[in-house]
Amino acid sequence: MIIKLLKQPQAVIGFLFITCLLVFSFYWPSMLDVNKTEALKLQDFLYDDDGRIIDAPPYSPSQVPPLGSDMFGKHIFYQVIDGAKYTILIALGIALFRILFSVGITLINPKSSFSFLNDIVQATLYIPTAILTFIFMNSLIVKQSMEPMSTIKLIVLQCLILIGVGVPPLISTFSSEIKAILNKDYITNSFALGSKKVYVYYKHVLPELSTKLVLLFAQQVVQTLILMAHLGVLAIFIGGSAIVVLGDIFTPMPVAIPLAGEWAGIIGMNFAKIKAAPWAILTPLSFFAVLIFALNLIIQGIQNCLETNKS
Amino acid sequence: MNFSLRSYLKRLRSTILGILIIGILPALLFGTNTQLEQNVWEYSIKNLKYPLFPDVFEKYQYSMTIFFAALLTGLAAALILTFFTTLLPRFLQRIVYGLLTFLESLPDLFIVVVLQFTVIYIYQSTGVLIANISNVYNNPIYLLPILTLAVLPTIQLFKIALLLMKDEQHKPYVTVARAMGLSRFYITIVHVFRNIITSLVQYYKTIFVFMLSNLFIVEYVFNLNGIMNVLLNTKGVAFMVTALMIAIPFSLLFEIAESNTIKVNKQEGEEAA
Repeated sequence: MIIKLLKQPQAVIGFLFITCLLVFSFYWPSMLDVNKTEALKLQDFLYDDDGRIIDAPPYSPSQVPPLGSDMFGKHIFYQVIDGAKYTILIALGIALFRILFSVGITLINPKSSFSFLNDIVQATLYIPTAILTFIFMNSLIVKQSMEPMSTIKLIVLQCLILIGVGVPPLISTFSSEIKAILNKDYITNSFALGSKKVYVYYKHVLPELSTKLVLLFAQQVVQTLILMAHLGVLAIFIGGSAIVVLGDIFTPMPVAIPLAGEWAGIIGMNFAKIKAAPWAILTPLSFFAVLIFALNLIIQGIQNCLETNKS
Repeated sequence: MNFSLRSYLKRLRSTILGILIIGILPALLFGTNTQLEQNVWEYSIKNLKYPLFPDVFEKYQYSMTIFFAALLTGLAAALILTFFTTLLPRFLQRIVYGLLTFLESLPDLFIVVVLQFTVIYIYQSTGVLIANISNVYNNPIYLLPILTLAVLPTIQLFKIALLLMKDEQHKPYVTVARAMGLSRFYITIVHVFRNIITSLVQYYKTIFVFMLSNLFIVEYVFNLNGIMNVLLNTKGVAFMVTALMIAIPFSLLFEIAESNTIKVNKQEGEEAA
């Protein structure tokens, strides 16, 4: 299947793009020859050559090339590049665990119809995923404000919520899928010949599912990315946030700054100031769009593969 | 039309059960009881409390107006675009299809924000305010939210319709109609389109669910006082009531559509046999 996928040009382009972005995100300080802490620090004012203050943040893309800065004077470009690795890895990880959990749960008892889960899936159709996740995240944050927990624990819990939101619909897809495979003649035969359940699952069921799994995985990554962007707008940040007080003494403005540098956080942080610094929110959003486009290319490639498999 | 009330009630029961579970689960998992001091029939936005009833009906009506207006706009736009695309030469059709794949991967948030900026930019440079970009209280805005909400469903419907059109044009009845000397224009409008619309109905669920999720983002970004905003800010019982207000009519719609599509499928099966 991998060889077939390599023959699909769009899938290769998408894959290469994401890999390049990841590698660049890890090694950008040495590649661009800049100091990482220097590039990501808060920059209060902009000075001209003589050391006079010319402007206060946010700076436009023409003042601070290439993409301007946010309300705190942080360079958007460096932030986005640095955040790419977190965003991509979080999305990949969450999608992976969603698939793993749902396949695992389905395989424990493939014959059951999961009527209880189907109830929940029915209900989630009418409630947008972002609202669903927001409800859970919000109560988590309320809890955290009452009894503080460590950042690691918070991140793990938040990821668990993001995983858990996606699992029920996947289980109901897989359960029908796996049931159809288990009803095939050769599977019934191999059970009749006395093979163990684990052996059959490993040897027959999973290989038959594999292409479908890859396809669903890619789709889940896209969904996770969109969900993360929505959560960013709702000011829910993965990894929690720190409160920084901006403004002068008479009108203090507490602003939540996300601790992890993922893109959704950049969007969420700048969303209230959308009219003052449009580039600060359009840049991460366009990166989201390009990333999703790359993933869609891969999905298209996989689908082409599946079609050629059939014919 | 073989809509049965019993199967609908059965489905509704499971939906209500699901919403109940979702409503209770956060409090169970994290043990937070934030609504002790809050009245059950109230919801709060930024520490201001509002009663849920009877405001919610007005908001509901507003949201649904936007939703269905966007749906109709999207459907009409998609069909018109499909019609013109089929009249284009083959290579241009492929370009359009590729462009659609690209547009489809734009996140809904991106489109909302870009449209908002475009309106601001046009206002700043020419002084012409095309439409209000944000909701001022008691002064609901319609044009821009409807347009924004309609963009993505249009693209999706357009893509599906284009694919269906490709399938449809190679069917025998089109060839027969051609042989009878009917013009291509006439065949497309009278025969092919009618068949496409029945097939398009089958995608209603994906489109609706997708649009509900978009509606939320549109309401949030444009700061509309809609049902999704209420849903976002309610907890516990009020949340369940609001969710049910969305779920009950939509599941009825799904049920009716489903019973009709099964009938269409059956007919097709009979024709084929």
